Amino acid sequence: MNVLLVEDEARIASFVAQGLQEQGFVVETCANGTEGYALARDRTYDVVLLDIMVPGMDGLAVLKALRGAGQTVPVILITARNELDDRLAGLNLGADDYIAKPFYVEELVARIHAVVRRTSGDRQNILTAGPLRLDRITRDVTCGSQRVELTAREFNLLEYLMRSPGRVFTRTQILEHVWGYDFNPSTNVVDVAIQRLRKKLDPLEAAYWIESVRGVGYRFRAEVSE
Amino acid sequence: MSTPSDRRSLSLRLRLALWSAALAGGALLGFALLSSWLIYQAKLDSLDARLQSAGPLARPSGPGDRRDVFPDGDREAFAPDPEAALAQDLGLPADAEVGLLLVNRAGEVVYQSPQWPATLPQMFLQPGQFDGDRFRQRSRHLTTVRSVDGPWRVAVRTTPLGQLAIAANLSALRQEMATLRRIYAVTIPGLLLAIGGGAWVLAGQALRPVRQLSQSIGQVTAQGLHQRLPADPDPEFAPLITAFNAMLERLERSFHQASRFSGDAAHELKTPLTILQGELERAMQQVETGSGTQQTLGQLLDQVHHLSSIVRKLLLLSLADAGQMSIQRQPVDFSALVQDQLEDLSLLAPDLAISAEIEPGVIVAGDRDLLGQVVQNLITNAAKYNLPQGWVRVQLQPHPSQVHLTIANATTSLTTKEASRLFDRFYRGQTARDRPTDGLGLGLSLAREIARAHGGDLVFTPSSPGEASFSLYLPAR
Repeated sequence: MNVLLVEDEARIASFVAQGLQEQGFVVETCANGTEGYALARDRTYDVVLLDIMVPGMDGLAVLKALRGAGQTVPVILITARNELDDRLAGLNLGADDYIAKPFYVEELVARIHAVVRRTSGDRQNILTAGPLRLDRITRDVTCGSQRVELTAREFNLLEYLMRSPGRVFTRTQILEHVWGYDFNPSTNVVDVAIQRLRKKLDPLEAAYWIESVRGVGYRFRAEVSE
Repeated sequence: MSTPSDRRSLSLRLRLALWSAALAGGALLGFALLSSWLIYQAKLDSLDARLQSAGPLARPSGPGDRRDVFPDGDREAFAPDPEAALAQDLGLPADAEVGLLLVNRAGEVVYQSPQWPATLPQMFLQPGQFDGDRFRQRSRHLTTVRSVDGPWRVAVRTTPLGQLAIAANLSALRQEMATLRRIYAVTIPGLLLAIGGGAWVLAGQALRPVRQLSQSIGQVTAQGLHQRLPADPDPEFAPLITAFNAMLERLERSFHQASRFSGDAAHELKTPLTILQGELERAMQQVETGSGTQQTLGQLLDQVHHLSSIVRKLLLLSLADAGQMSIQRQPVDFSALVQDQLEDLSLLAPDLAISAEIEPGVIVAGDRDLLGQVVQNLITNAAKYNLPQGWVRVQLQPHPSQVHLTIANATTSLTTKEASRLFDRFYRGQTARDRPTDGLGLGLSLAREIARAHGGDLVFTPSSPGEASFSLYLPAR
């Protein structure tokens, strides 16, 4: 998948690009809005990541110009500024999603996938791991031929872990993504929820897939691991 | 007519009208009193002058001319109606009450008008007074005498032949004065009404520019600080408008500064945080799973996350302080939002007894994320500051004009001082510091700002001891 990253902070651009490349993306970076606009207009990308505060044309102007020129490439805005106003302006101008600094690369990857899925009509909505199968659209989870009844939170938790097999998440990260908690020190919520999820998966011998990482958090086992 | 500012301007208007009427009334009353007194005095003076100059003795054909008659007092010698002639002399109507009394040197009454007031004593006609120099000195004498039929003005004149007294009844004069007073009594209230009404109209006209000014100020503040008032040609209001525009400009500049600061600070703070978080995240995935390094990196990542959360809240608070927390209003199912957050409470604190009365389908217009944050803050606080085996009570009630969410929990009693400082930034209650619960002293303050930006409020409701209760009010959609 081709990604254009318009970001003037070299270190941010660097780790985002590396993080995306590790996930199999082809990333082109550009530190200037005007150049970024020219690139996005002339070449074909699967998604454009646009920092709002960049030299040259700012991110919102680039987005406006792209949409004005009839470009429908999916755009995810990255902003550090007043999130309330930028979010509104960006979505009004036709951005597909919005991510606020600071963000986790993992979160950005998930957003890219979601946006691409949504805009391309791609039906990659099934996550599988061993006997486990998770359908993002119908929100059904099956293990072999058996259906697993999960609450909305448990489903989101499982989906979050499943989409990045092998990746370690801290409890805070999980709490923020699944519960939307801004910051909450009571991370034992995560432990309780994981316990419940495991309890439901255990009879199906699927609890194995959710691994505790001592002192850090949790991860979903990668299928080819060990 | 309904807004308080209108009522205030009307009362000023009324005050102006009443004051002008009162001042004019005082002046008119003074004028009336003075003028009637002066007119009365002038009339009295002219009567006196006539009483003294005119008289039957001065007339060739009058009784005084008939010197021969004077001593012997032959009444037949007088003109048939000396009083009428006298009244005519005095410039009074012929039927005016005048009296004439003639006394000869011997002190005998030569002539007395029939209408001579009976009670009028003849004290001034004493025979002894005719002697010598004293007699001449007091040859003219004017006095007002009260009798049954009203006051009489009496002039006594001494002549070589005897004494002559002319009396004129003053009631006619008094009646004229009464008429004058009646005229005043009718015209003065009328004038006062006219003056008060005129002042009312004038005050209204004088205040109209003020009303227009306050209207345009209201429009300007509603439309944004970049608006300016149009210049007013009226020299009275030009300085006011200039001052107001200058104030707006200062406000606008400081608002822009505040918002630019929060934007710049956000950028400056978030850029290193993003780098830190991104690098830590990458590093954590690269090291050996479960290793000590990964644990350290995980803890660092959580701390960076914590720091980001503080930065985010501070920036939102600085926006709120600058009055620029703009709310993207969308219909939010508030009942579902509260229910959702409440589900986590049982995970968060399984030992708490939770009771909830949530009216379903309560919709408010607001920012879903921010409202979620408010409710989350209240619910996690209720768990965090609770007692072991305590309880939490949540009530959501829609009212016609507002939605009311109450979240109460068991707690050690708060002192008044603690309660008043709950919404202070970075403040944590004593109980919070004593216990291992960690938290931010920004959550409640931000929650209140968010509630206020939505046109609602968040308050700590005083309740029974051992209970902490927060009430969130949001305008109904």
